Amino acid sequence: MKILLAEDDPNVSVITQLCLEKIGGHAVTVASDGAQALDAALKDGFDLIILDGMMPKLAGLEVARELQSRGVTSTPIIFLSAKSEEKDIKQFLALGAGFIGKPFDPQAICGRIDEILREKGLAAS
Amino acid sequence: MSSIRARLAMIVLLVVTGMAWFGQASIRTYEDYDRAQGQIGDVLELRAQVLFLDATSYSPKLAGRLKEKRKELGRDPRANLLSDIIQAYNEKDPKALRRRVLAFVDSERRTLNDALLRQREAERKLKQNAAVTALLPLVGLFMLWLTVRASVFRGIDRLSRRMMDFLVDRYSFQFSEPESNELGQLQRTFNSLAQRVINNMDELKSLDQAKSDFLSITSHELRTPMTSIKGSLSLLTSGVMGRLEPQAEKLLKIAESETDRLIRLINDLLDLAKIEAGKLPLKGDWVNWDEMMHKTAQSLVGLANAAKVRIAVQPRPGLEVYMDRDRMQQILTNLVSNSIKFSPEDGTVSVFASKTRNGEMLVQVQDQGIGIAPEDQELIFQKFRQSSSPESPIVKGTGLGLTIARALVEEHGGTIGVHSEKGKGATFYFTLPKWRDQTGHSPDADDVPAERGRGAA
Ligand SMILES: Nc1ncnc2c1ncn2[C@@H]1O[C@H](COP(=O)(O)OP(=O)(O)OP(=O)(O)O)[C@@H](O)[C@H]1O
Ligand SMILES: [Mg+2]
Repeated sequence: MKILLAEDDPNVSVITQLCLEKIGGHAVTVASDGAQALDAALKDGFDLIILDGMMPKLAGLEVARELQSRGVTSTPIIFLSAKSEEKDIKQFLALGAGFIGKPFDPQAICGRIDEILREKGLAAS
Repeated sequence: MSSIRARLAMIVLLVVTGMAWFGQASIRTYEDYDRAQGQIGDVLELRAQVLFLDATSYSPKLAGRLKEKRKELGRDPRANLLSDIIQAYNEKDPKALRRRVLAFVDSERRTLNDALLRQREAERKLKQNAAVTALLPLVGLFMLWLTVRASVFRGIDRLSRRMMDFLVDRYSFQFSEPESNELGQLQRTFNSLAQRVINNMDELKSLDQAKSDFLSITSHELRTPMTSIKGSLSLLTSGVMGRLEPQAEKLLKIAESETDRLIRLINDLLDLAKIEAGKLPLKGDWVNWDEMMHKTAQSLVGLANAAKVRIAVQPRPGLEVYMDRDRMQQILTNLVSNSIKFSPEDGTVSVFASKTRNGEMLVQVQDQGIGIAPEDQELIFQKFRQSSSPESPIVKGTGLGLTIARALVEEHGGTIGVHSEKGKGATFYFTLPKWRDQTGHSPDADDVPAERGRGAA
């Protein structure tokens, strides 16, 4: 599966990428802020977009809204967030996106991703 | 006149002055009356004396008395008539005396009538004054009442309405211009009080905001590095990065499990902070009980296996409960993991759901572990508190699990508690008020024969 990963913390980014590649066997493209993520998502087609909730330039939520307003609606989105405030989570879910809280278990993240995609009726690869 | 006090004093003063004036007038009238009365007496006495004069039996004593009377009258026109009578008497002329006496009595009648008229007039005036004096205080009282009603009662009503407004909605509260009387003073005091309350509320609000910000930033700043640490360790220990020396792997496993503990602690502390800040809203939903319970039990299998404890969940097909799924899993995870922690090897932790007599759902988590002494049964629900009995084993934990579970259960509208006897296991239970049965079966038909379950096949 082709995945776009947008994460501003370089360490978290590296680790998440490794998890997705080594455990899930996915192909991962990395963006380090919201603007980059938006560009990449508009240029290339992805099977899944994973967005950090809090990023410089463009927050995850704004990237998702921008994508939706530009017609990129078929690609499922999952948010990663260290802020577990209910109002944030509600906003994520209201966009029809999935949510995984940090810190996550690398072993479990791929399972969670499949699960979220299944819940949304989008069968994983 | 603005001050209510001054207005009231004015009215009282008017009444008192009025009463004094009329009192004075009454006294004067009474003197008139008295004078007329005296005159009447005089006239009658003189007439009697004059009428009984007898020219045939002259009395010098009587003559002397008449002369005295004559002097008393002075320049009164009646004096001449009296002088004539005295003269006739002295001359012992019965005829002249008779004639002059008649003339005198005739003139005296007019004087008498006059005096009587004056007396009657005085009497009338006296009665009038008495009536006015009696009415004045009544009028005064009435005016007092009107003034009190207009400025005191209405003012108080207005003010209390404003106070109610303030209670209902502080923020749209309009400070009105206070009146210039005593109630205005009261309103000024109230206004400054209200202003102070509003200032304090604003201050509290910004403190509250600061607390929220702190929570959110702390949460982010703690969780981000934990994500990297946990991720690195997991990737290494899982073997996907290549095989490791057994000793290195052991060390990494230790680091990983301690990291997990730290993450749990951070999550618990942040939850506790949210609970204490009153910022723990639930995402309520109808959730299938068995499915949720199965997932929760599944996530605890590893822990149970490690402790050689069995988890037995009694299925409740068709039962749906209104809950925040993640928070409910948190509650059950706390209770079941506690039970596992304190269970003996080969023990069983059982989870039941049943219906209580007052129609609530009752969830029970039962174990055969060390139990809890009665004096600890309330204490363990407090934060950072663990069983204090010296024989209770020291088990890793922070004492936050039950505090959070209690807050979450209460947020769901239920209550939580424990039944236990030292050494004989513990049964933690909690209630949930909102549930429904999709199959039409009562979740505990045998427990509650009436009400539901009648339509069951
Ligand atoms: N099933 C049980 N049997 C015996 N004692 C118990 C049981 N459950 C809780 N306790 C007692 O209550 C205390 C408080 O429990 P609580 O879950 O609040 O904290 P903890 O388990 O010690 O730590 P934490 O859950 O935060 O990791 C425990 O330390 C233990 O002394
Ligand atoms: Mg506990």
